[in-house]
Amino acid sequence: MGLVKKIGFALLFYLFVSQTVYADFDVQNAIDAAKPGEVVHIPAGRYHGNFIVTKPIMLQGEEGTELIAEGNEPALRIENTANITVENITLSGKNKAIVASNVDGLELRKLQIEDVHTGVHVQSSKNVRIHEVNVTGNEGHYSQKGNGIAVFKSEDIIIEDNTIEQVQDGIYVEDVKRIVVQRNKVTNSRYGTHFMYTSDAEALFNTYLHNVTGLMIMMTKDILLESNTVANHVDFNGYGMLLYDVQQAEIKFNTIKNNRTGVALQKSSNVQVETNDFQMNQTALEGTKVSEDTTASNNSFTGNILTARSDKQGFKLVGNYYDDYSGIDLEDNGFGDVPYVAVSSFGQWMVRQPVYQYFVESPSVILLTSLDRQINKTEKNMLVDNTPRLAMKDTEEKNKMNVVQMLVGLFLTLSSLWLWKRGITE
Amino acid sequence: MKKWIMIVMLCCGVLVGCSEKTYEPREIVSETDVCKICNMSIVHNAYAGQIALKNGDYEIFDDIGCLMEYIEANGEDEIGAAYIKDAAKDEWIDVFEAVYVYNKDYWTPMNYGVVAFDTKEAAQEWMSKEGDGQLLTYTDLDDFKWGIHE
Repeated sequence: MGLVKKIGFALLFYLFVSQTVYADFDVQNAIDAAKPGEVVHIPAGRYHGNFIVTKPIMLQGEEGTELIAEGNEPALRIENTANITVENITLSGKNKAIVASNVDGLELRKLQIEDVHTGVHVQSSKNVRIHEVNVTGNEGHYSQKGNGIAVFKSEDIIIEDNTIEQVQDGIYVEDVKRIVVQRNKVTNSRYGTHFMYTSDAEALFNTYLHNVTGLMIMMTKDILLESNTVANHVDFNGYGMLLYDVQQAEIKFNTIKNNRTGVALQKSSNVQVETNDFQMNQTALEGTKVSEDTTASNNSFTGNILTARSDKQGFKLVGNYYDDYSGIDLEDNGFGDVPYVAVSSFGQWMVRQPVYQYFVESPSVILLTSLDRQINKTEKNMLVDNTPRLAMKDTEEKNKMNVVQMLVGLFLTLSSLWLWKRGITE
Repeated sequence: MKKWIMIVMLCCGVLVGCSEKTYEPREIVSETDVCKICNMSIVHNAYAGQIALKNGDYEIFDDIGCLMEYIEANGEDEIGAAYIKDAAKDEWIDVFEAVYVYNKDYWTPMNYGVVAFDTKEAAQEWMSKEGDGQLLTYTDLDDFKWGIHE
């Protein structure tokens, strides 16, 4: 065999085989041998097993470090300890990738989790930060899958900058006190983020696309949902955000676009929906059994089929912009002179029978809605905005001068003139 | 004459048979079924419930707590039959006849901690494995305080 062939085969061997051989390094032995506070560096390689950490150490992988769970047990279990960091590792397995129980001080970062039922499962822990973790679930229906990142009965949690796709609930939070969920992206799952029995929670700057529902908030108290992008939740039961039995919620500066229902409030009290952008939703805002202090103010409603619908209790609409408002502003104060009435017979029917949604743009419904607009002008209480804003809130562009740009432009113009003049004189 | 009596009796039998409508449970369809009360999609079938209404409609629930909330709000008059999944066998059982066990640490979709069984023995066997709980009947559920318990 020629030398070139030998070298070629050797290269092929390292290219295809070296990545898949079992590494010699014993991960569990290294963990057991490490003293508290030490860093356990796991070299690149595929390690099969169910590893357990019960002392404060840092598990640090490198590119190509992979932990693969055996059987139904998780790939990595962290229990009854404090100050653990796990970083730069790829994990996979049949059931759960990481399970952390009774941990005070846990940081999970730069992890790749693939082909698992559940990504990260945290319970009875506090001071947890999970960031830059990518979870990709298996193919198939969400009812057969677990959650991307799930946190139960815990306190002081930060979940940020994670990317999760194809799972049941991207981020599932149950019975947690003080949690911030920010800058995450969840796609193609059941719920983007699902809060249950949680208090003092924030969901900020997240992106939720193509799930059944973007944000599902249930039995939760004191929550802020701000600057999230929630789009393309168009299933039969799809919602951009659904709040069920929620007390004290602020929904601000979100972009809620192309959903079956943008925001639905059910059995909730003291909810403020402010300065959001509702675009092209089938129904932008829906409220059933909400308290009297629930208000939607300073929002922009553009391109939605139905702006708002509710049961008899209704909710307050104050100072919103509606693209289908036809009044004028003779007083020139920025608000229309006649109230905007969002009540629609068809909208109310849809609350009772969701299947009516399939008739939403039918000729008879369009005719009914037109008639509603004429008849409902006398409506005084339910879904009436007495101060409809006439223009969307645009930031006024002032004539700003960029000094550097001006000087460069001046220099180039003068140089061109000088060259032109020199050309003529020569 | 006997012939006529036979025909009349047969007709009566058919009519009585027609009037006794049975309400069978239907399968859960995870793609489309959502809880009538809380709107959650039904993905944990082992805890699901359903009510077959007399008008032929079905209302689906993700948790016995949501089913009870529906009954509390709408009464029992229109209910043809009500079913809940047996937590041990994954089979539909009658809500009104079932034996229930409550333990705040049992997980259920709404975290109400109440699971159903067809017999007291099955409930006892469950408790021996999953932890002791409080035995309840359907009437106990009427004034049960649904919600997460500390």
